[in-house]
Amino acid sequence: MWKEIRDRESGKVRPNLFTSRIRSNRVAALQLSNHKEIVSPHRGSVNSLQVDLTEGRYLLSGASDASIAVYDVQSATDYEGSGLVARHKSLFVVDKQHEQGHKYAISSAIWYPIDTGLFITGSYDHYINVWDTNATQVVTNFKMPGKVYRIAMSSLVTSHMLIAAGTEDVQVRLCDIASGAFAHTLSGHRDGVMTVEWSTSSEWVLVTGGCDGAIRFWDIRRAGCFRVLDQAHSQLGRRPPLLERSATNKGSTSKSLLAGQSSSVKSRAPQKKIAHGNGSKQSAVSRIPNQVKGSGRQRLHPGMLSSRDRATAHYGAVIGLKATEDGMYLLSAGSDSRLRLWDIESGCNTLVNFETVRLQTGKAIQLAITQDSAHVFVPCMTAVKAFDVWSGKTFLTFRGHYEYVNCCWYNSQDQELYTGGNDRQILVWSPSKMIHDETDEWRRKGQAPAQDQDNWSD
Amino acid sequence: MDKSSGPSTGRKREREEDAVPESEDTDQTLSLEENFMFTDTLVALRIMRAQFPHIDKVSIQPFILRSQLYSSVKDRTQVDRELESLRRERVLCIFKLNTGQDDHAIMFMDDYLNQIDWVVKRMEAKNQDDLAVFEWFRTHVIHSKVEPSIGHQELCSLLSSGGNVKDEHVSLLINAGLLTRQLIDPNMYWFAIPNIGSILKGLSQGRKELLSFLNRRKYKEMMLAPLEKKRLRLSSLDMRFHLRDLIGSGHLKTTQTPSGLIVRVSKD
Repeated sequence: MWKEIRDRESGKVRPNLFTSRIRSNRVAALQLSNHKEIVSPHRGSVNSLQVDLTEGRYLLSGASDASIAVYDVQSATDYEGSGLVARHKSLFVVDKQHEQGHKYAISSAIWYPIDTGLFITGSYDHYINVWDTNATQVVTNFKMPGKVYRIAMSSLVTSHMLIAAGTEDVQVRLCDIASGAFAHTLSGHRDGVMTVEWSTSSEWVLVTGGCDGAIRFWDIRRAGCFRVLDQAHSQLGRRPPLLERSATNKGSTSKSLLAGQSSSVKSRAPQKKIAHGNGSKQSAVSRIPNQVKGSGRQRLHPGMLSSRDRATAHYGAVIGLKATEDGMYLLSAGSDSRLRLWDIESGCNTLVNFETVRLQTGKAIQLAITQDSAHVFVPCMTAVKAFDVWSGKTFLTFRGHYEYVNCCWYNSQDQELYTGGNDRQILVWSPSKMIHDETDEWRRKGQAPAQDQDNWSD
Repeated sequence: MDKSSGPSTGRKREREEDAVPESEDTDQTLSLEENFMFTDTLVALRIMRAQFPHIDKVSIQPFILRSQLYSSVKDRTQVDRELESLRRERVLCIFKLNTGQDDHAIMFMDDYLNQIDWVVKRMEAKNQDDLAVFEWFRTHVIHSKVEPSIGHQELCSLLSSGGNVKDEHVSLLINAGLLTRQLIDPNMYWFAIPNIGSILKGLSQGRKELLSFLNRRKYKEMMLAPLEKKRLRLSSLDMRFHLRDLIGSGHLKTTQTPSGLIVRVSKD
C-alpha cells in the first residue's frame, strides 16, 4: 500500500490507476461489516434500497409493510461495543399510520436524482407518491391501473422530470412531476412490466423488462420501441471490429421477416436499409420487423411495428435489469434462473454464462454493479453473489440473510454493499477495517470515541 | 469458490479415456481434416454421445443435455460460445425441452437427420400419404434454422419454397413429433426431437428419484463410485447420464475427499 502511494507520488503510477486498484482491492475484501450496522425499523421484507446519487450519504429503503425509512450511512447515530460498532438508526420512518402513507407493500422507493429534497415511492396499492423529505408530506401522487412493480427516474436528466412506472398493466406509463399528469404511455409488452431502468448513456432512452420475457428499449421521444432484445441473437464476447462483423452478418441467416419470400432475404436486407434511411447499423437492420407490408394486414404506424416482434430475452419473466455505467452493456436477470449480459449497441447476447443455480421468481430483484463494471452483485435466494462480469465466475458469496434477499445497492464511494431481504434486515458488507489502533488511542485518552474528532479538533 | 466441476471432470474423463479411440472410429460424422481440431466442448460432446445408454424399446439417436456439458467442461462461458459457433456451422442442433426451465438437448446434425428418416419410414409403413412435406422440412427449414423456435409465418414461407403448403402439412409435422406448439404463443413452434416422449418422462422421473434417494440418506451424500453402480428404477437412462445432468445444473455438488469423490445435495 505504501509502495503504491510512493509510486503515485513519483509518477510511476497514474492517479486513476491507483484509485481503481485500491477500489478493486477493497471490493475483493468485502465481508459482513464488523464496524457498521443499520438498524432496520421495518416489519416487512425490505424490497428496495437506494443511496442518493448526489451525495452518496442517505439510504432510502422501502418495505412490504408500507414503511419507508431513511438512514445516514456516513455518520452513525450511536456507538456500541465500546465504540467499535457504529449503529445507524433511521432518520425518520413513514409507515401506514401516516395519513398519506401507502396502504400495501412498497415495491420501489427512489430518490429524486437532482437532490434529496424529494423521494418517490411506488406501491402495490396502485399509487405512486412523491414525498417532500423534510416535511415528510406527499406532494403529488399518481394513480396507476395496477400494482406498481418498479419506478425509475433518469440520473442524467436535464430536460424532463419523468418517472417511468412499470406495473402489472401491459403499458409503461411516464408520469411528470412538473405538471402532475401522465406524459405518455409506451405499449408493446404483452404482460406486466416488472423492471424499468433508464439508460445510463441517454436521458431519452428507457429499458423495460416484462413478465413475458421481453426486454424493450424505448426512445420516449418517438412511438414504439426501437429495439427488442432476442436471446437467440448472440455474439461471442465483445463486439468484433467493423469489417469482421459485416462478414459474419452475411453468413448467418437471420429469420426471414417477409411473408412469402424466403430466399431473397439477404438481398432484401440492404434494400430495406436504404429505404428506411434511418442510419441504423447493418447488424440492426435484420431485426427490424417488416412483416406488415405485403401480407394484407392493417397498416401500422412505423414506430409501432415493434409490437409485432415477439422475441424474448428470457424463457421466464425478466426480474432484474442493470445497465453498466458506461452505457455499453446491460445485465438482465430472468426467472428462468439465467443472468444474461447484452451488448446494447448491437442488441446481442454476449453468451457469458453466470453460474446461477436458482433465482427467486415472483418478485423483482435489484442488481448492483461496481463502478468499473467488473463485478455484478446478484441476490440469489438467501445469498448475494458477486460475479465477474466477463467470465461469469462467482467471485464472492455473501451469506448472512436468513431468508431471500430482494435488493442490493453498491455504494461506490465507500465500496460498501447494502442488502435487504425478506428477513426485514438491511445488512452492510464492507472491507474489513483495522480499528484496534484507533480504539487503543481512545482508551488511553479515556474518552469515548466521538464522531468527527481527531487530534486537531477542539 | 468451490472447484467441484474440476475434479469430477478429471475423474470421469480418466476412466473414459480408453473409450475415445473407439468412438472416433465409429464416429464418421466429421471428415478427418476436422477431427484434428478439437475444442473442449466438442470432445466432451463426442465422449458423451458414445456413452449414451442403449434403450431397447425406443429407437432414438444419442442426445446430450446442456447441463451435462456444464459438468464436464470447466468454463461455462466457453461452452456456451462454442455451442453457439458449432450451431452456426450446422454441426449440431439445439432443442429446448419441456422438462424444466432451462433444459436444452444437443444432437449432432447427422443424428437428427437419421432420426427424421426413421420417423418418415415409420409413417410410410403406416401408409400415410403426402410425405413430401418432410422432404421440404429437411431441405429448407433445417438448413436455414438457427433458433430452437420458429413462427408459423416463417415456417410456411420456408416450406413453400418446396411446394404448396397447406395446414395439413403442418399438422403432419406436429404428428410426427418434429414440431410442438408453444404454450404461451399459438403462432410459434418449438423444434423437437421425434419419439422422445418416453425418454423425457424417464428423465424427469429419474432426476426426482436420484434426488430423493440422496435426500433420504442421513447426511444427504454418497460416494460417487457405489452411487454410479446403482440402477434407477423409473428411468431408462443410466445413472451416469443423470449424475452429469444434476451436477451440471447445480442440484448436486461433488467434493474431493481422501477416499474419492462424494456427491451431495447442494442446499442453496
